[in-house]
Amino acid sequence: MSDTPILQGIDLKKTYQLGRLEVPVLHGASIQIQARAWTTILGTSGSGKSTLLHLLGGLDRPDKDSGDVLFKGASVWSRTNRQINRYRNHDIGFVFQFYHLLPELNIFENTLLPTMIAGSKLPKAQNKAKATKLLDQFGLGHRLSHRPRELSGGERQRAAIARALVNDPDVLLADEPTGNLDEETGNEILDVLSELYDGGLTVVMVTHNNEIACRGDVVVNLRDGHILEN
Amino acid sequence: MYQTLLTTRYLTSRVIPLIAVGAVALCVALVIVVVSVMTGFLDMVQSAGRTLMGDVIISYGISGLPHYGALQEQLEADPNILGATPIVDGWGLLRMPYPDSKAKQSETVQVWGIETESFSKVTDFSSSLQWKTPTDNQRDWLLLDAIKKNADEVRIGMDDAQWNAFVETVNTASSTLNFANANLWEDIKTSVTEEQWEQILALDERLSQPELVHKQGLALERNGKPGIVTGLHVSDGNERQRDGTYKVIRNDYWWLPRFDGTLTMLPVDSQGGIIEPESIIMPFVNEFQSGVFMIDESRIFVPIATAQSLLHLDAAEIIDVDDPTVVLGVDPARATSILIRGVEGINAIELRKIVHGIYDEFRASMPDNTLVLPPSRGDPGLSINTWEEQQRSFTGPVEKERELMRTLFSIVYLVVAALILSIFWSIVFEKTRDIGIMRSLGASRAGIVWIFLQYSLVIGILGSALGLLLGWAITKNINGIHEAMGNPPLALAISAFVFAGATCVYTFVRARSGMMLPIVLGSIGLITFAGIGGLVLFIRYIGGLVIWDASVYYFAVIPNNVDWPSAIVTVCGAVLFCVLGALIPSAKAADTDPVKALRHE
Repeated sequence: MSDTPILQGIDLKKTYQLGRLEVPVLHGASIQIQARAWTTILGTSGSGKSTLLHLLGGLDRPDKDSGDVLFKGASVWSRTNRQINRYRNHDIGFVFQFYHLLPELNIFENTLLPTMIAGSKLPKAQNKAKATKLLDQFGLGHRLSHRPRELSGGERQRAAIARALVNDPDVLLADEPTGNLDEETGNEILDVLSELYDGGLTVVMVTHNNEIACRGDVVVNLRDGHILEN
Repeated sequence: MYQTLLTTRYLTSRVIPLIAVGAVALCVALVIVVVSVMTGFLDMVQSAGRTLMGDVIISYGISGLPHYGALQEQLEADPNILGATPIVDGWGLLRMPYPDSKAKQSETVQVWGIETESFSKVTDFSSSLQWKTPTDNQRDWLLLDAIKKNADEVRIGMDDAQWNAFVETVNTASSTLNFANANLWEDIKTSVTEEQWEQILALDERLSQPELVHKQGLALERNGKPGIVTGLHVSDGNERQRDGTYKVIRNDYWWLPRFDGTLTMLPVDSQGGIIEPESIIMPFVNEFQSGVFMIDESRIFVPIATAQSLLHLDAAEIIDVDDPTVVLGVDPARATSILIRGVEGINAIELRKIVHGIYDEFRASMPDNTLVLPPSRGDPGLSINTWEEQQRSFTGPVEKERELMRTLFSIVYLVVAALILSIFWSIVFEKTRDIGIMRSLGASRAGIVWIFLQYSLVIGILGSALGLLLGWAITKNINGIHEAMGNPPLALAISAFVFAGATCVYTFVRARSGMMLPIVLGSIGLITFAGIGGLVLFIRYIGGLVIWDASVYYFAVIPNNVDWPSAIVTVCGAVLFCVLGALIPSAKAADTDPVKALRHE
């Protein structure tokens, strides 16, 4: 590969503490994400694929003796807290299996939340226009003032994608984005991701489903915390 | 700012903040009401004692102050002093008129020999006297006593028939009067001639001049002879009622001013040895109430001369030990203390300083040839105290009670603090997943904590402001509320039962759907309403409920002044605990990795 990967995981290890038991989840996984590519991380449940995504997205910290995550060639985990916050907010967009929208905010406010957290350098009106545009794009233009609980699963996931994109991140990390949806709705979501990918966005998606995995350019197989093949 | 948006949403879109505000308000109100009432109560106890003590007290309990009259004059000459009065203070046994059998009961009493005129100036003696004029019933008893004691005199001028009828009337009344009002006064007045009536009334001057009851109390004498005024709780015949008034048991039979009592005191010689006890029979002329139970249950007033003679503190000749016929001089009469009242506006501590000066002058002004000198200020037996200092010695138990109350209050505070902490803990704990979401979107830890700081500040301030208002309203109206609780209106019971019925119907209708919540809520409602209704009926059945029983607390009304310093401390404390309760768990949640927080269900 000629280009420098936009996102790189190098020898990532992660062990969880379950009571007194230490459960190793990742045993030194390395992965390279090319810019504007759709990378799918495929693995059975418990293989450590979500953990890998969390480490890449700055949501979870790798073990001490572990390697690092490089974003555009620079270390993520040696940054200050403030810089990591900014990385989560600005450089990465995260989509979760269970949407994780705030129940007290309506769809519009949920979408706008990352810009508010950023302290928004852009004028507010511009952010609002951005959020509206994204929601329109995902067919939620008429749902702006609805609360998440008033929406279907697919709608919620589309709102969550809009939220992930509102700060124009370089990479979209999607953790089983269709895992909680029926097949048809799941396909709708994948279509949305495809569109974004076509528009030049770097997409990293985690799934356990072989059929879905074929959507990507690159499929990374993960088994028991080890990367098997690219 | 996303924090303000979220705080607003958290506050407005859920019931929990309302419950939290309510809980904080109730806690704050509870503490304010309890503290205000207790503080007010203790203040009342302390200040009630002052009315019977003056501002500053000079006392020399060992053998009494000689030349107290001169000291009193010098004190009264000072423009800062309104009055000074000598007291002879000692303990004695008072033989009471009851029971009816020959073996009478005796009470241990603290005898205060007083000079009534100056004593009234220094204390509120006059207004503390219980009986101003006799009631109709008491007057009938006086009339009956007078007739029975002077039967021979009354009979003069009556023929046998009239006398028999008269005796009949008196006997009937005398047996009735023990349990019910008899119309003795009118019955006798109509059955005798005007002249005879005049004669009967002349047997006891209190009959024609009812105000004499008060006057005799003030003067401590009846018909020129010394009398006793006792504390209202010295006699077992006085029963305090729920409304704080007094009733004399057996339908005024044991009204003390009808009777005589025997006072016995133990005089002490100059070396502190005990001499033969001295006794005197004196009529009871009135009773007084200071408001302090410890005083009212044991103190009696007699004229100072009586107390002096009982205690051998009256003037006596000093004779030569070697030759008893040679009189060396006179040992002046003594007083054990002098009570001093300052003019309006002077505080007790300033007054004490002035009294110090006057006392020194008084002692220096004694002529050189004085046989018996008053003690110098360095004498350890001599004390010059403010009323507060003096109170301390005999309201010790009250002080202890106050300490106990403080301890109890701090426990109440702790309970309230723990409650508020746990409410916020659970609110924030429930929001852990939201915190994880925000953290994964790049929110900083401080940013997260700020949300809950605002949240808890709003709830804390709102809750304690409401609590302050509620506490103030309850405290101000506590006597009315107490009254209403004691005598709840029947309408309350009826409406409670109507609500209970409605809840019952609602529960049955909703229960058909098989849902549990309506059944649970309906049952709670049913039990609550039926309980309220039942309680009201029960209270009405037992004739009213009294929580603040005036016969226990010795004040007819519940103190209703808000203790503002405590109230402000309470409000600040409540806000502080709200903030702490929110800060600790939110800081903890903000510190966990977003992934862990996200997994929180």
